[in-house]
Amino acid sequence: MRLDLWIAVRVVAALATLTALSVVVFWATEVLPGDAAGVLSGPHATDAEREAIGVALGLDRPGAERYLEWMRGALGGDLGTSLATGRDVAGIVGARLVTSLAVLVPAVMMIVTLAGVLGTAAGLRQGGRLDRWLSGTTLGLIGTPDFLVATVLLAVFTAWWPVLPAVALVRPGESLWQHPELVLLPAVALALGGFGATMRLLRASVAHTVATPFAEFARLNGVRGLRYVWGVVVANALAPAVMALTVMTAGLLGGAIVVETLFNVPGLGSELTQAVAHRDVPLVQGLSLVLGAITLLLLLVGDVTARLLDRHGPTATGPAR
Amino acid sequence: MTRRTVVLALPVVAVLTIALAGPWLAPGGATTPVGSSFEAPTDSYPMGTDVLGRDALARLLVGGRVLVLQALAATLLGSAVGLGAGVWAGITHRRRLGLALMRSVDALAALPALLLLLLLATGAPGDDVVVAVGIAIVSAPFSVRVVHAGTARLVGTEYARHAAARGEPLLARVRRDIAPGLAPVALAEAGIRFVAATQLAATAGFLGLGAGAPTANWGRMVRENSVGVTMNALPVVVPAILLVALAVSLTVLVDRASVPTRLAPERIDRAA
Repeated sequence: MRLDLWIAVRVVAALATLTALSVVVFWATEVLPGDAAGVLSGPHATDAEREAIGVALGLDRPGAERYLEWMRGALGGDLGTSLATGRDVAGIVGARLVTSLAVLVPAVMMIVTLAGVLGTAAGLRQGGRLDRWLSGTTLGLIGTPDFLVATVLLAVFTAWWPVLPAVALVRPGESLWQHPELVLLPAVALALGGFGATMRLLRASVAHTVATPFAEFARLNGVRGLRYVWGVVVANALAPAVMALTVMTAGLLGGAIVVETLFNVPGLGSELTQAVAHRDVPLVQGLSLVLGAITLLLLLVGDVTARLLDRHGPTATGPAR
Repeated sequence: MTRRTVVLALPVVAVLTIALAGPWLAPGGATTPVGSSFEAPTDSYPMGTDVLGRDALARLLVGGRVLVLQALAATLLGSAVGLGAGVWAGITHRRRLGLALMRSVDALAALPALLLLLLLATGAPGDDVVVAVGIAIVSAPFSVRVVHAGTARLVGTEYARHAAARGEPLLARVRRDIAPGLAPVALAEAGIRFVAATQLAATAGFLGLGAGAPTANWGRMVRENSVGVTMNALPVVVPAILLVALAVSLTVLVDRASVPTRLAPERIDRAA
């Protein structure tokens, strides 16, 4: 398939997925029981009061109509207003997104550096001491849910060795970007959660490249040292590695929900758990839609980049996902 | 069974026994305070007390069953969906329909699992069953993919193509040609899904989805009691160790069991 056509198909598929997600988001928050009117009116309201609030919110109209209205607003950048605070949802989402990125970007950088270097080193010498040691360590890390990694870090740095602030409190008007010491701990927690799987995928990709006939040919022809590692192995292992890294980054968005909640980082994830707890339906919808859109965008970019980097066409490394 | 397999299976059996039989063994109420918060372990309360002064051991014993049952139910449901959809997409003559199914499965797998869980929890708050269904929904796409790949491999074999050419009925082909070769793949996949499901169930408890406080839950225990680790670390450490021991030993077991499950740990992490 031609490249531009292939990219167009991917973009359309991503848009279709996003549309499906928006339907799921809307259905789960508005159609399932536990409606917004019941929450707003409180547990002691009479049925009539509940109904009045439902009418005021427009809940008496058919679901499809409300969905279309919501989507029309979302396309124009209007996600409604929060039930709990009455503030503009799009504004909240924007502010939270900046904070989330302040933690996410350093975490991704840490993973790329560490997993890249260690994965290459372990893959080059399969079965070596480093490989075996890393294999055990990463297995342990993968077996540990994100929330445990984060809790251990939090416990260690609040209770036994309080050198870093564990809770990210930022004075109003300041941004988290200006406080690297507040970002460090959540970013490390996030990075540890994603490191294990990424390292193993990169290692597998490097080991696969090392075992190919062309890598052996290069070795037999005396290509050694940095030229071999960089020019032969890394260059050819890059496409699946980029794929693994984008999947990991997309996965970190899920991990961020836990880490942000635990460290009180006012990002998308912690806002989402709070909005779920308060049953603030418009806010949950807006946050979910933005989180889903970012995930799909990341995967799309990863797909396209991997395809552009792939030296052997989509068949050599298995079908592009 | 080699000796190493037995050694690896021990923690799995132990954790599952504690989780499932725990509520019958619990010494007293798991929700009634017996002292002040975070008391050190004593003879009558071997794990001390938790944040609200409740018996931490009782809460540990009570808090595992929901988690394991949720994971089991989600694994069964997810595997059933995975087997049905995966085998059908692999064997059907309607290639386009099968392809369309696999594309939509890819799309579902792309969404963050926790996001879907949180969304369902908004729709039906405080419900353990909904959490289990949610975990099944997020884990089914991964099962479908693996089963589909396995089926496609088996459908391509000589004997399966002979059977198809002879005009054997679909069900007979699935039973005689596909099922025997698919069973180990499907079992290993179910093992991986179970590990991922326990982690998701624990995370759901940690985030306070499912049945609300004061119900005990290993995930919630970690959250509640993390403020008091300096005074009494046991209510945090013990459930954490149980969860990690279960995940690591089950992963290694599945990883050693067969070739088609290579890279098993990565698949867990992507789902969880």
